[in-house]
Amino acid sequence: MALGVVALALPGSAEAQLRDIVAKSVSASSSGASLELGFRDDATLRVRFDDGDVILDGNVIGSYRTGDELDRAWRALLGEAMALEDGALAERLVDWSAPSSLSGGLADAARELDDAFERALRETQAPAEAETRDVDASSQNGHSLARLLVGAIGRLGALDEALSGLDEDFRIHVDEDVTVGRDEVVDASIVVIEGTLTVEGGITGDVVVVGGALDVREDGYIEGEARIADARVLRDNGEIRGGIVDVLDDERDFQDDLRDRLRDEIREELRSNLRSELREAARLEDGDSYSIMAPLRPVIRGVGGVFEKLVLVFILGLLGAGFFAFAGENVDAIAETARRTPARAAMVGFAGSFLLIPVWLLGAIVLAVSIIGIPVAIAWLPLFPLAAILAALLGYIAVARVAGEWLADSGYPWTGWIRKSNPIVTLVGGLLGLLMAFIASHVISIAPFLGLLSGLLFALGVIVTIIAAEVGFGAVLLTRAGRRPEYPGGFDADAAWEAAMNIDVEEGLDAKHDREDQT
Amino acid sequence: MRTTMTIAAALLVPVAIQGQSWKTVTMSRQLQDNDEVRVSVDYGSGDFSVRSVDEGVLYRMNLRYDEDRFEPVADYSGRRLRLGVDAIGRNITVGRSRSGAMELELARGVPLDLDLNFGAVRADIDLGGLSLTGLSLSTGASESTIDVSEPNPLEMETAHVEAGATQFSMMGLGNLNADRIEIDAGVGEITLGLDGRWRRDSRLVIDVGVGSLELRVPEGLGIQLRKNSFLTALDSEGLVKRGDVYESPDFQDADRRVIIDLDAAFGRVSVVWTRAEHGKP
Repeated sequence: MALGVVALALPGSAEAQLRDIVAKSVSASSSGASLELGFRDDATLRVRFDDGDVILDGNVIGSYRTGDELDRAWRALLGEAMALEDGALAERLVDWSAPSSLSGGLADAARELDDAFERALRETQAPAEAETRDVDASSQNGHSLARLLVGAIGRLGALDEALSGLDEDFRIHVDEDVTVGRDEVVDASIVVIEGTLTVEGGITGDVVVVGGALDVREDGYIEGEARIADARVLRDNGEIRGGIVDVLDDERDFQDDLRDRLRDEIREELRSNLRSELREAARLEDGDSYSIMAPLRPVIRGVGGVFEKLVLVFILGLLGAGFFAFAGENVDAIAETARRTPARAAMVGFAGSFLLIPVWLLGAIVLAVSIIGIPVAIAWLPLFPLAAILAALLGYIAVARVAGEWLADSGYPWTGWIRKSNPIVTLVGGLLGLLMAFIASHVISIAPFLGLLSGLLFALGVIVTIIAAEVGFGAVLLTRAGRRPEYPGGFDADAAWEAAMNIDVEEGLDAKHDREDQT
Repeated sequence: MRTTMTIAAALLVPVAIQGQSWKTVTMSRQLQDNDEVRVSVDYGSGDFSVRSVDEGVLYRMNLRYDEDRFEPVADYSGRRLRLGVDAIGRNITVGRSRSGAMELELARGVPLDLDLNFGAVRADIDLGGLSLTGLSLSTGASESTIDVSEPNPLEMETAHVEAGATQFSMMGLGNLNADRIEIDAGVGEITLGLDGRWRRDSRLVIDVGVGSLELRVPEGLGIQLRKNSFLTALDSEGLVKRGDVYESPDFQDADRRVIIDLDAAFGRVSVVWTRAEHGKP
């Protein structure tokens, strides 16, 4: 029976002089400087110079002043520590000693620090019993030994799977990195457990890697299979002629199936719950169940709708009052344009509405293509829609005022309370007029069998609202938000006098002058 | 390097920074094994750089930060490494302030699943030399330059990059060694370099909102561009339109082919041909 060479590099090393430093943190600010070390056994050493105190592992061991000799020595040490790691850092810290020129409390604190470094870093580790040794074994023994080793590290199943059917000549390496050199050809199979196998040359047999890595470099090759169990494959143009077999694929597939099944079950459960919730919500909405309130639902819905519109009138009235107070002349100009050329304003409004989104997006593009414009684009994206909404509201309110004035002059019943001398009352009257179709729709919906009429009224309300908004928006655009009046507005004393007395003031004056000339 | 110099200066000249609340810190952790580590980095504002290091450390981080507002984070547990800074409380600073800085070095040769999140920063990142099993990069309003200067030795399934309002440049995409690269960009100037060593045919999925996109393609690399765009101008010099797609003339015969799915909303897309710089395409 052929023998396999089993090279075992078990964990363990020669006795260490200094502890391993696995983590390091060096910090500095105007108020202090600190060093924190972490060791392999999770122990730590913390030294802080902080606001005049020297603090070792949380205990104040002395004091210093910013810029004194101890502070300077400490900062110089940390300056070196910043660039050093692990062994070199440990050596430097152990070698550090208090400056001889220190005296008194500074010297005591420095000595304590020196001792602390010695204690923390010179703790020796117990020598490991195991050492690297070569063991010759038959392949059968190799299997047994491997199983023993692998059992100890919890990879028995994986290795057992990977070794099945392997050639009898092979080498095992445990917990060590192995390199097959560029000009080297290994005429056997290689098993590496918890290590990295780097192949720069050739391997004529198979390769088994468990819990490590297989790195096949350029020009490296493996004639047989690469069997991988919980290991990585790095292939930098190297060849694995027998292909890669992941021996844990089946296990992973099983886990994936299990996960998918669980996911499907959870998803189905969620769907089922969601359906139940939706059914319950729909049942409550439709009033499938008997309720003492059921006969009153149309009344509640109708009254609620009317109330909603009244609240809307109130809010728009407040907004209008604000516009009248702070931009009264602008509202006058917009209202005048809406009154005199409603069709033109509506056309401009519709065109403006269609162009809003393209203008918004194109503006963003123009600004975004340059770095300088990006901040402006960020402001443009939310502010442009906001300005458009504000313009539409301003226009709608101006149109409502025009509607209120028209209603005041109309002589219709229940419009006598609308007084043109009070713009707020006129506005509220106009808003109620514009929303009247909605209000009527809600009132009618209370009565049974009038659903169609209610729907028609609602549609009429929508049409009126759209037309009013477009006329208003167009008037806002035409007058540049009321800053460029298209028609003279405001109070004209002569016109008011002529209207009231039914005379022509200019004509009267001319007649008077003629009489004076004759006399 | 600048942060390193600042730390050294702060250590040697403590009085020079008197009256400021800036703190500098360098942190590192020794490499203990070569098992995969999931790295998550969060950094809000300032200068930000990432490099690879080959000095036996898992990471080395140099930070300069305002200690009144931030605290450094370096948490390693269960093969997960979290680095960066966390805000203290809910302070909001109005106006300009001096920016901090973060220099991060990550170990070569250690498989890393890297998750980088940074906000309003000036980022200079070189992922070359890192062994990446995954990459997720997210940036806000930043000026980011990302390079993959050396091939990634590990295969990556998907690399995902998300950029907000930004000037964003990412070169050496071929060196990522990824089956699929997803770039999701919001607003700004995006430059993508398809140079590097492509190990196999790959797919590049680009979703751009508003702005300009420049694709730098090395000669010899076969690309096929599938465009789904709205109000986007395409400068497809050097590409041939075949049906609904644009292809490089030698696409069918190219050693390596990259299929680009481009979804752009508004702006300009241009294809620029270059000579390969990061190894063969």
